Amino acid sequence: MFDRLFAGALLGLSGLLAWTAYHFEVPFQYEPLGPKAFPLILSAILALCSVWLLLKPSENKWAPTAAVLVKLLSGVALMTGYAFLFEKAGFIISTAIVGTVFCILFGESTKRAVIYSVALSVVSYFLMKHLLQLNVPTGMLFGG
Amino acid sequence: METLDFLATGFSVALAPMNLALVLIGCFVGTLIGSLPGIGPINGVAILLPLAYAMGFPPESALILLAGVYYGAEYGGRISSILLNVPGDAGAIMTTLDGYPMAQKGEGGRALALSAVSSFFGSMGALILIVLFAPLLSDLAVKFGPSEFVWLMTFAFTCLATMVGSRPLKTTIGVVIGLLLATVGIDPGTGVLRYTMDIPNFFDGVDFLVVVIGMFAISEVLVLLESWLRNDMKMTPVGKSFISMSDIVAVKWVVLRSTLIGFIIGVLPGTGASIGSAVAYGTEKRFAEGKDDQFGKGDIRGLAAPEAANNASAAGSMLPMLTLGIPGSGTTAILLGALLMFNITPGPLLFEQQPQIAWGLIASMFVGNLALLVMNLPLIGMFVRLLSIKQSYLVPIIVMLTFIGIYSIHGDSFDLYFMVVLGVFAFILRKLGFSLAPVILGLVLGAVLEQNLRRALSISGGDWGILFNGPITITLAVATLIAMVAPFILKRLKKAK
Repeated sequence: MFDRLFAGALLGLSGLLAWTAYHFEVPFQYEPLGPKAFPLILSAILALCSVWLLLKPSENKWAPTAAVLVKLLSGVALMTGYAFLFEKAGFIISTAIVGTVFCILFGESTKRAVIYSVALSVVSYFLMKHLLQLNVPTGMLFGG
Repeated sequence: METLDFLATGFSVALAPMNLALVLIGCFVGTLIGSLPGIGPINGVAILLPLAYAMGFPPESALILLAGVYYGAEYGGRISSILLNVPGDAGAIMTTLDGYPMAQKGEGGRALALSAVSSFFGSMGALILIVLFAPLLSDLAVKFGPSEFVWLMTFAFTCLATMVGSRPLKTTIGVVIGLLLATVGIDPGTGVLRYTMDIPNFFDGVDFLVVVIGMFAISEVLVLLESWLRNDMKMTPVGKSFISMSDIVAVKWVVLRSTLIGFIIGVLPGTGASIGSAVAYGTEKRFAEGKDDQFGKGDIRGLAAPEAANNASAAGSMLPMLTLGIPGSGTTAILLGALLMFNITPGPLLFEQQPQIAWGLIASMFVGNLALLVMNLPLIGMFVRLLSIKQSYLVPIIVMLTFIGIYSIHGDSFDLYFMVVLGVFAFILRKLGFSLAPVILGLVLGAVLEQNLRRALSISGGDWGILFNGPITITLAVATLIAMVAPFILKRLKKAK
């Protein structure tokens, strides 16, 4: 079932890609093939493969429980939130928050999660920023 | 003799103080990462790649570091296989078959030491073969024109499709997705914007690092989240046993054969350590049949074979990457991407024009493997202790490192969002039974394949016949056809029996 859904989506995508490629505006071109051919060939192969997969899907036993799905979605939400906060709130604050929630998701007690994540974020900040001299956002709170 | 001169140049690069330090750090960190539950070599290299890039090392030093992590992780992966019965990655699955029973019998120490020694000989054997074959292969490849390269890549993708993963069809789809991702951005030939969706961040193409980290590390975090269970795994104690000289003598032919098998399979494009170790194990099992065969119950031959083979194929997969620019495995695809980021195009000319990179890397692998053997025998207790690190402490570190790594490249939050999106996409792919290595291989080779195809047809003025214009192209075309058809015929024959 999952395979069929995915194959259908891929088939639609290959059509879209081919249509877009066909309509690339090429102002000048010195070679016979040009920028259109390669994407067109690829979308044709992709379409062919998706039809094949649509006709002959493989079995899929993946059946996550509601609890697992909630966990996965919260993981995705958490990482999206991290991406949002990373620059705005700065590395230390965002890492402390996101780290804490991840610790709790993996079964740590709240107190230990907080202590661990705060320590992790502060230590890594100085390690990454000053020892390795990487581009780590300080955040507005600390005047970054 | 010329080879020896080059090798000497290589050692002068590898033994320079900074590079020597980086080899040691790489191997140490690699073993560390390999022994941590849940992070295999490919994730280790992926997570460290942006950090190595952001720290501004010269290309050969960055490559030496990352390669050290790669084969270091192949060493480290056996620890959890032997003591926990949990393979760190696909290449270590075969190690559990006889390694874990040995540990259960109280011979954990012997198993760990034996696997370290087999890994060492496997890598060293493969490295010697690389030194012998690299000049030959690059001499041959210098004669390659665009149409030869088109076929070489088609051959690589075909091998990948028919030999890796659950279904050739899914591997092919993975490759095509990767190739399509590579077309995003400004077309270098005409300046046309392709599939950029008017997002400026895509004008330069999708960032290789963002794709690699998103697809491997972020999807790995989701997999860990999904599979996490409350009960902690029971670790088998290491025990006081150790390897004896007679053990090594007993497995010498096993190690030699497995090294050869691992190397050949590693060199074949697309097929990495997992297949190498499986074939070596199978071969040795057949050899031992009837002769006090203890395979599956803790036979030292069953442990030595996959360990020698997976390290030999890890080293072997470097050969096509360096000489032809065609990676032999998912991890070498990432290393190739790393080289391209430094504006270095691997291939036959690399050996002539930048010998310090190619030979420096090869020499550093000799040094690294020696260091790994030394590190792994006395320090094994420390790495074993790492196994008991809880995932609740590990996952925040992984997530943090990926975010720092990606952010420090451009300093743009867009990359972080895109990375998470790719992670979710890759997670879905994994759940549908796709493997990710083909996607990365497609992404890395996409631009090169298209350029060569277009160049070939420019030469011929649009005549596709140029793809069959000489003995080399025709040989490669036939090889591609064989790679496409042979597995199916073999399967039929097996069924007919």
